[in-house]
Amino acid sequence: MLRSLSLRLLLVVACAAAGAPAVADVAKGEKLYRQCQGCHSIGPDAPNGFGPQLNGVFERGPGGAEKYSYSAAFNRAVKQGMRWTDASLDEFLTAPLNYIPETRMAYPGVKNREDRQEIIAYLKLVGPDGELPETEKVKANRKRKQPRPLAAEAEIPAHGVLHLGRVALPEEIAAWDIDIRPDGQGLPEGSGSVIDGTDVYESGCAACHGIFGEGMGRWPVLAGGHDTLTDDRPEKTIGSYWPYLSTVFDYVRRAMPFGNARSLSDDDVYAVTAYLLYLNDQVDEDFVLTSENFTSIRLPNEGNFITDTRLAEVKTTVASDPCMTDCFDEPAVVTQRARILDVTPDKDTDEGSSATID
Amino acid sequence: MYELKDQEGNVKNNSGKKHPRNAPQDAGRRKLMASAIGAGVAATSGKALAQTADPIITDVQDWNRYLGDGVDARPYGAPSPFEKQVMRRDVSWLTADPKSSVNFTPLHELDGIITPNGLCFERHHGGIAEIDPANQRLMINGLVDTPLVFTMEDLQRFPRENHVYFLECAANTGMEWRGAQLNGCQYTHGMVHNVMYTGVPLKYLLEEAGVRIKGKWLLPEGADPSHMTRSIPLQKGLEDCLVAFKMNGEALRPEQGYPLRLVVPGWEGNMWVKWLRRIEVGDQPWHQREETSKYTDLLEDGTARRFTWTMDVKSVITNPSPQAPIRHGRGQMVATGLAWSGHGKVKRVDVSVDGGRNWQHARLDGPSLSKSVHRFYYDFNWDGQPMMLQSRAIDEFGQVQPTKQQLRKARGVNSIYHNNSIQTWLVGNDGSVENVEIS
Ligand code: HEC
Ligand code: HEC
Repeated sequence: MLRSLSLRLLLVVACAAAGAPAVADVAKGEKLYRQCQGCHSIGPDAPNGFGPQLNGVFERGPGGAEKYSYSAAFNRAVKQGMRWTDASLDEFLTAPLNYIPETRMAYPGVKNREDRQEIIAYLKLVGPDGELPETEKVKANRKRKQPRPLAAEAEIPAHGVLHLGRVALPEEIAAWDIDIRPDGQGLPEGSGSVIDGTDVYESGCAACHGIFGEGMGRWPVLAGGHDTLTDDRPEKTIGSYWPYLSTVFDYVRRAMPFGNARSLSDDDVYAVTAYLLYLNDQVDEDFVLTSENFTSIRLPNEGNFITDTRLAEVKTTVASDPCMTDCFDEPAVVTQRARILDVTPDKDTDEGSSATID
Repeated sequence: MYELKDQEGNVKNNSGKKHPRNAPQDAGRRKLMASAIGAGVAATSGKALAQTADPIITDVQDWNRYLGDGVDARPYGAPSPFEKQVMRRDVSWLTADPKSSVNFTPLHELDGIITPNGLCFERHHGGIAEIDPANQRLMINGLVDTPLVFTMEDLQRFPRENHVYFLECAANTGMEWRGAQLNGCQYTHGMVHNVMYTGVPLKYLLEEAGVRIKGKWLLPEGADPSHMTRSIPLQKGLEDCLVAFKMNGEALRPEQGYPLRLVVPGWEGNMWVKWLRRIEVGDQPWHQREETSKYTDLLEDGTARRFTWTMDVKSVITNPSPQAPIRHGRGQMVATGLAWSGHGKVKRVDVSVDGGRNWQHARLDGPSLSKSVHRFYYDFNWDGQPMMLQSRAIDEFGQVQPTKQQLRKARGVNSIYHNNSIQTWLVGNDGSVENVEIS
């Protein structure tokens, strides 16, 4: 038994020299160490328990905990030259009773190799004083453990009624406040031409919206549809439906390209907005859109938006006493059945229907 | 064309009757039914009345004998595996990409008025933003005395309130404008949920920043990749909007805007900006994409209504419905559903079994809260004949849910949004249920 142990120790030393394991996450190691706390302690003035305290266990070497009486088996192994290295401790923690038969550490071991490495990395960081070195993370952790600042000394801001929150800085407001109104409020300085917009559009938008804004597959259509609003199937596009150009600039700048929002420069947004006007037959190909001429562009459908007049639909809304019996002469007759269309999911077909959702 | 047989008889059977338990002719009828089942006629409903002993009762079952999971097995509880069909579902052909899409609440699987958090339908425009609450900021800027930034910790120091509100997408039932299309109330009506929110009344936050006299409009903005924005009149913000961080007692779910969302009671779901990061005060509306290109209601004459915020009075029978057919035979049964109004409380719900020719009052049960869904029940004795089931809600202001015909007459079929019309379910003589349109 002993001979095999020393042989293994040699091997272990050789392996240890080959290089330390990849640096592990201290916080994770600290968390995993909690399973050891039943028998071990770490920290300033950590006492011995059923097992020795583990402050600086690497530096002090095996059997180095003061005032702790190790088992005979453990002492024997120390005498035979046992050292704590990444590799030896790894083997010990895998199955303590295999590594040092009859050790008092009657613990089944940590079976997961990565977990062991995390624990070891953590143990290595703990100094003889029981403290962790001052890494950023640890510092932050320590701060949390330090006594909190006195509540009575907290500063109360002057603003407001309840004096909560803090004043927003101008650069913070500028970073988030990117909305633009139809009257041009919020427009950034800049300009872009239809020509430049062609490049922006073809490289960044056409894959989804189609080269002419016709929409690939079910991606939104951006151009066309003029004079279709009273048709059976209206096509609502920037040119046929949208009331204001500011909405195009605002929306593209805040949300497009889909999956890479806020990646376009202001000039690119001007250019692609100009290009969308061009695709919708609102400007010529040599047009340049600028912060100056922006509000002079009006979209054709602006006048067709009205306020909410639902409450005036007297028939459909207010009726003080709805009919209760014999409300119509003939029995009701089924005129249409969803089964005929059969577009409900979980059926065999996943065919698209004309209806869309917005 | 499908015509209900024996329509007149049906109507007479089901109308004008008190609660069936109190109706004397019913006792006899039930007896009759029981003997029929005993003779093995109504096999589907006969299990509990079977004449051979039920082994579930006479044998000791595994779950009677062997110990189950301990308290450490399910640190965050999930529904029983027997409920695995209860889930949100989506309709893949509706949109181009699931990251700007919608799924639907399984209304037919739920009861009461509260929607469980994991089943609240989702609609987002750039996927679910995952935000560490430590990185959450809420900015108030624009026409205010002091533009401010709040952290989650700051927000939790304001007085907070609890309110139950429904949230309905304005496009709920939008696929049904042209006719019956989807078989299941999950799909026709599942873009609604009802949740108790804990949050800070928006007015406190606005007071903290100090709204200038000229301020008349608010623009909430989300932190997700769509940077969702909507113009909301200041008046509404001061009236009953909440900045919420809890739903049904626990933190908002990520898909519902964790850690912070706006609650705009009774108004279109799209305005309830999730992942809320900013509220601007202005003197005019902004006419953002979601209130011009979308969420405007195109009428037949080519004009379009904008700022149609309130969700009108509406109801739907959730059981029976196409995904929840009647599995028992004729006899005593419960029809149930939900009713709501963005204007306030629901005063009354009527149910018809003959396609709206005759109506009965349904029973409202559970809390009746303003701008919350109401649960209704219609307990009746089904004679096993086909039915055209409808429900019709009336709110406290006397607004009556319209028929599909009335709505189409007023608006045409291209409005997409605000379809609050009466839904018809055709129940067959085998208990199956289908979404239909009637004359
Ligand atoms: C059941 C109690 C117990 C548990 C749990 C336990 N140990 Fe031990 N450990 C001991 C005892 C006892 C010793 C002393 C061994 C001896 O004397 O044989 C010891 C010794 C050690 C040593 C050698 C100390 C030295 O001074 O050289 C290390 C390192 C160690 N344990 C690490 C761990 C780690 C890491 C864990 C958790 C994964 C752990 N132990 C869990 C009881 C335990
Ligand atoms: C990966 C596909 C994709 C790309 C690339 C893309 N978009 Fe979009 N676009 C979408 C989707 C999806 C929507 C709808 C989003 C929603 O409704 O939430 C949309 C919506 C729009 C709309 C509003 C359409 C309407 O009718 O309301 C405009 C305008 C637009 N995109 C412009 C652009 C521009 C300009 C670019 C290039 C800079 C671009 N998009 C790149 C997918 C894309």
